[in-house]
Amino acid sequence: MSQLAPGAGAASGPAPETGTPGSRRASAWRLLLSSPTGAAGLVVLAVLILAAVTARWLAPYGPNDIDVPNALAPPSGRNWLGTDELGRDVFSRVLLAAEVSLQVALVSVAIALVVGVTFGVIAGYAGGWLDLVVMRSADVLFAFPILLLALAIVAIQGPAISSVMIAIGVVYTPIFARVARASTLSLRQEPYVQAARTMGVPTWQILLRHILPGISGPVTVQTSISLAFAILSEAALSFLGLGVQPPNPSWGRMLFDAQGFLASAWWMAVFPGLAILVTVLAFNLVGDAVRDVLDPRQRSMIESRRKR
Amino acid sequence: MRKHRQRRNRLARTLVAAASAVSLSLLAGCVGEGVDLGPASSDRLVRAAIGGAPDQLDPHQTSSYFSFQVLENVYDTLVEPDENLQMQPALAESWDISEDQLTWTFHLREGVTFHDGSDFTAEDVVYSYTRIIDEELANAWRLATVEEVTATGEYTVEIGVSQPTPNLLTAIGGFKGMAIVSEDNAESGDIAQHPIGTGPFSFRDSRDGDYIWLESNPDYWGGAPAVDGVQFSYISEPTTAIAALRSGEVDWTDSVPPQQVEALSRDQAIALDTLVSTDYWYLAMNQDREPWSDERVRQAVAYAVDRDSIAQVVGYGTAVVNQLAIPETSPWYAAYDRYSLDPGQAQELMDEAGVSEASMDLMVSTDYPETVTAAQVIADNLAAIGIDVSIRTLDMATWLDDQDQGEFDALIMGWLGNLDPDDYYYAQHHSEGPSNAQGYANPDVDELLDAGRQELDEDRRRELYAEAATLIADDVSYLYLYNPSVIQAHAQRLTGYEMRSDRAVRFRDVNLEEDA
Repeated sequence: MSQLAPGAGAASGPAPETGTPGSRRASAWRLLLSSPTGAAGLVVLAVLILAAVTARWLAPYGPNDIDVPNALAPPSGRNWLGTDELGRDVFSRVLLAAEVSLQVALVSVAIALVVGVTFGVIAGYAGGWLDLVVMRSADVLFAFPILLLALAIVAIQGPAISSVMIAIGVVYTPIFARVARASTLSLRQEPYVQAARTMGVPTWQILLRHILPGISGPVTVQTSISLAFAILSEAALSFLGLGVQPPNPSWGRMLFDAQGFLASAWWMAVFPGLAILVTVLAFNLVGDAVRDVLDPRQRSMIESRRKR
Repeated sequence: MRKHRQRRNRLARTLVAAASAVSLSLLAGCVGEGVDLGPASSDRLVRAAIGGAPDQLDPHQTSSYFSFQVLENVYDTLVEPDENLQMQPALAESWDISEDQLTWTFHLREGVTFHDGSDFTAEDVVYSYTRIIDEELANAWRLATVEEVTATGEYTVEIGVSQPTPNLLTAIGGFKGMAIVSEDNAESGDIAQHPIGTGPFSFRDSRDGDYIWLESNPDYWGGAPAVDGVQFSYISEPTTAIAALRSGEVDWTDSVPPQQVEALSRDQAIALDTLVSTDYWYLAMNQDREPWSDERVRQAVAYAVDRDSIAQVVGYGTAVVNQLAIPETSPWYAAYDRYSLDPGQAQELMDEAGVSEASMDLMVSTDYPETVTAAQVIADNLAAIGIDVSIRTLDMATWLDDQDQGEFDALIMGWLGNLDPDDYYYAQHHSEGPSNAQGYANPDVDELLDAGRQELDEDRRRELYAEAATLIADDVSYLYLYNPSVIQAHAQRLTGYEMRSDRAVRFRDVNLEEDA
């Protein structure tokens, strides 16, 4: 059996999911765009990402151009969204902070995704004591309030943008581990996985070719929702002074600075607040739509509706 | 003075060898709590909101300004500063100095009792000072020249000093860190939670993180206070404190956002005072590191920094720009205005030093938001002369650690509650000074500061310190930025309260008017 394994493994393993990836994805995109909230979310996200990437050219002023005599100026033709307490242009800062926020969100979720899914899949597939150890460790991490854990990590590493990325990544890792493990547990019992196993396909190949594609749906949904929360977490950490370091712009930090000026300069709080709101909302809308599209039951409902 | 609000005594000890009074925390960044009125609030109870909870209530051990806000009302010192910061009799009614200036004899007030009913005598004074010196507590350096403290009678104390010490009165009375404590209370350790003093109010009760309740002392030697007591609650968020004041939940607070001073001063329901304080804020560059070891580079920085803008954004008209430490309101003030905002001059000095670009690791603390704000302006200013500033915002404990380790290119901080010029300059700029983290050494300055410690003639002493300060500023040991104001607000019904430039908060003379 073991001698047969490599050849048999390579020849077999016709997982239904991997068989038609192109067609499946294309139809998923179409379905996604056909949902009004999902399409709206995607459009907003596209605009946001474009703005973030081109921020340094779009911004009319440097983010740290201090102009004290012009401090706390209300929105005007010169400063579209007004100026803050040091006379910096709020519009430029909101724009450049988008770059920082998205960057932090992407990197931290990528960390959580890679680490969480790896551990989750291995734990779910291996079962036994390995599963027990990995998942109980995840439970321990879970037991901490998210922000508290992130605060602790940043406190240990010292405040910097890289610590924030790591902190948020660590905090969201157990969520990904759980999602990946749960899906793996059910996939493990699928006949095609059992068959591959019986034929002696090496474990790593089963994980890569049969399990991973199978769990991509729930993981994708989790990713887009986590991106939203990562942005919120970054804002919260920066608000507490542990995230992006001044004078670099960050929505959370801008809100913190605005606190003392709520009565006299509403624009300092409103615009970064709106930016957070819109971004988080967009990620959530897209996340919801993706979930509907990737969930087989929901999906058939949408499809049947379209056919009618 | 102690470095700003350290919350932990352990840290305090490393710094303390400095100058005069109190470490303070107007805006310390802890999480705000709601206002709990605690004790059955009577009409005659003054409810004061301070920025944070005292770490402990042992006056000899703590260095937290929050503690001293409370202890100012519980303890007495032999002498105490009046509103002009001149030393006046308190527990000592009078004193004589021997011909050779080496023996001070204090005649104590008779009939004073501690809050527990025991009598106050010369032995208490001896115990208190001996405790500070022998246990090497936070303020031992103030008594550095004191060789012996002896009770020569029940109400007479002699202090022998090793050299003439013109500022001895400031040293023993500058703030309540030199308070006369009760031996039983201190030896039992109760003092940290349940202090017993001779002051106008006695400690009644407290709840952690919630409030401290002081009761009037009917036997106070200065006359019983008119109010029943004082309750200190903790509100770190200035806007919350002001809201509580407006709604009548508290009667007094020093947690006031400077940007709201103008609007608040128009509010008829609130009495708001600002007074230039004896505190100062500065930037110091690490002279053990390149290129900051070159005084031309430091001078370039001094010419490039826009002090007016900094004072504006940290104080909104309440902070006063100063190129030396001592404010104009002090009798020790010396004029100095070498540095004007002059980027051209700054660039020339940089060229002269042969430094075309440099990066500066500037360390500030989130516990003092003014340092973060000032740092951003300075970063912008210095970019113009090719210095790339990266700001590092730390909590105070880490900040202090890094300062002690010399892990910085530059830092921004302040010193609070200074009285004597020795407080302002010695510890920070003497080459042997315990707070000389920037590594400044100038033999001329050392000589002047040493001479100032012994000079008895006040005019001559003022000249010595003016000369030393000029050298210090010329060499940019510290780059002085501004003197902030004490800002306090209270309800109109609280009468008789006097705000003080040394930030001592005294409630003994206040009264509460009946609500109309």
